Amino acid sequence: MFDILVIRGIIAMFLIAIVAATIGSFSVFRGSTFFVSGIAHGALAGAALGIFISLSFFPADPLIVAIIFSVFVALAIGYASYKKEDVDIAIGVMFAFSMSIAVLFLSMIREYASVAWGLIIGDVLLLSEEDINILLISVITLLIVFIIFYRKMLYVIFDPESAEANGVHVLLYESLLYVLIAVGVVALLKCVGAILVYALLVVPAAASRRIFQGMATTIAGAFIISLVSGLGGIWLSMYLNVAPSSLAGLIAASIYAVTLTKK
Amino acid sequence: MNSIELKNLTVRYREGIAIENINLEIQHPSFVTIMGPNGAGKTTLLKAIMGMVPYEGEIKIMGKNPKEGKRVIGYLPQRERINTNVPVTVKDVVLMPLVSNVRGVKKEHVKKAKEVLKMVNMIDYWNRRFDALSGGQQQRVLFARTLVTDPDILILDEPFSATDVKTKTSLIHLLHSFKNEKTILIVIHDINPLVECTDYVLLLKKKVLGFGMVKDVINEENMERLYGTRVPVIRTPETCYVVGGDRHV
Ligand SMILES: Nc1ncnc2c1ncn2[C@@H]1O[C@H](COP(=O)(O)OP(=O)(O)OP(=O)(O)O)[C@@H](O)[C@H]1O
Ligand SMILES: [Mg+2]
Repeated sequence: MFDILVIRGIIAMFLIAIVAATIGSFSVFRGSTFFVSGIAHGALAGAALGIFISLSFFPADPLIVAIIFSVFVALAIGYASYKKEDVDIAIGVMFAFSMSIAVLFLSMIREYASVAWGLIIGDVLLLSEEDINILLISVITLLIVFIIFYRKMLYVIFDPESAEANGVHVLLYESLLYVLIAVGVVALLKCVGAILVYALLVVPAAASRRIFQGMATTIAGAFIISLVSGLGGIWLSMYLNVAPSSLAGLIAASIYAVTLTKK
Repeated sequence: MNSIELKNLTVRYREGIAIENINLEIQHPSFVTIMGPNGAGKTTLLKAIMGMVPYEGEIKIMGKNPKEGKRVIGYLPQRERINTNVPVTVKDVVLMPLVSNVRGVKKEHVKKAKEVLKMVNMIDYWNRRFDALSGGQQQRVLFARTLVTDPDILILDEPFSATDVKTKTSLIHLLHSFKNEKTILIVIHDINPLVECTDYVLLLKKKVLGFGMVKDVINEENMERLYGTRVPVIRTPETCYVVGGDRHV
């Protein structure tokens, strides 16, 4: 009954729930959820640039270039924020820059533009074994780095001034968080598509924050909400014959709406 | 031993000089109150002492450079840029300076955190969400957090802006009890509640306009030089009272 594509989809939803609970939660706590979509557009620009380089100069893996470009966008936003720029404005500027680069190279690579789009628009029920492997490796790396630096990143996003006075390197750990978000977003984009990334990174943490007290329970809550939405989306899609990512997004948004009625 | 030594300290921002040519030696322990009008450079001076802004001149904190000396300082910033999107509990907040690495929370950390929360009367809120506390309660928790690392030096930038009279009085009592073990630097606009416990007063307006004991520094002439307006000072043999001191906020 379960074919291999569905099993891969289920595995992917578990991995996405891990990303949602960790860096998804932190981007919500940081108050910069727009960052996630900024990074997604950075990835598109990077993919287009990668293909352009391959066509004109030397072979370059578009996915790698997409990651590098996204990390660059993340660091630029981190630096602007450190220089006391409003994060929302910094993201907006980098968003405009990314889209300009994306449009520029998409128009130059013309017939290959769909390859670039393909890199950031995935389908959770069409994952290859390679996709799953990339996702698995990225998520495990991300989780390890997150656990090691969790407390410092938390201190920095909660109260940068006090963190700095206590000898914590604010620019370093804020940038690290942004790089983790960038890597997580790009890894997920390739597998599940931009809409699902945004829905499953931002919404579960936002809902969980309204229900639970304290960090550990909020993070666990985000994991469960993300998993329920993701698996629910796959399950419903088998009956309704609709894309699972849209259903997962709708379930997550409904859960959030219910939490709004609380308090 | 001097806890803080400043030689020809100058801090420039892009817009100009914030503090100029500050020379100061503060013995350890002592209680120093810093007064000055808005924009006088009080916060800048504190940040320079902690190595948080670029400076010219020389700074020694317990004999060391500011960057090395950071860990001996407990700092309560003026307007905390606290991010209340983060769902931390009171416990999490107080533990932050102690457990910023992966090894996690140890028993002695928890013991210390409970101890300082008791001092500010917030122990009953141990597991409560920080963002759901009132402004004054948050301020008390942040006050406790400055104590959790057992710092030699306490730096407090207008710590009573959100606290009621009772809390203010009890926090001043608490500060008083540290007099013989810590150097305390406190920026405050209304000096009246501190005249009894402060050892020295520093009058700052870009430069040091005065430094000394309350009886020598707090007088109408100095207040007028500092604030540019007449501020009556009532003096008795034991104490003094700056009329409308709290109106400079
Ligand atoms: N980050 C900054 N960049 C540029 N200029 C600054 C910065 N911080 C402070 N200044 C300037 O330096 C001067 C001193 O500011 P500071 O914050 O030290 O004053 P203050 O005495 O603490 O004032 P207040 O009583 O309002 O807290 C002011 O003129 C201010 O405009
Ligand atoms: Mg100030």
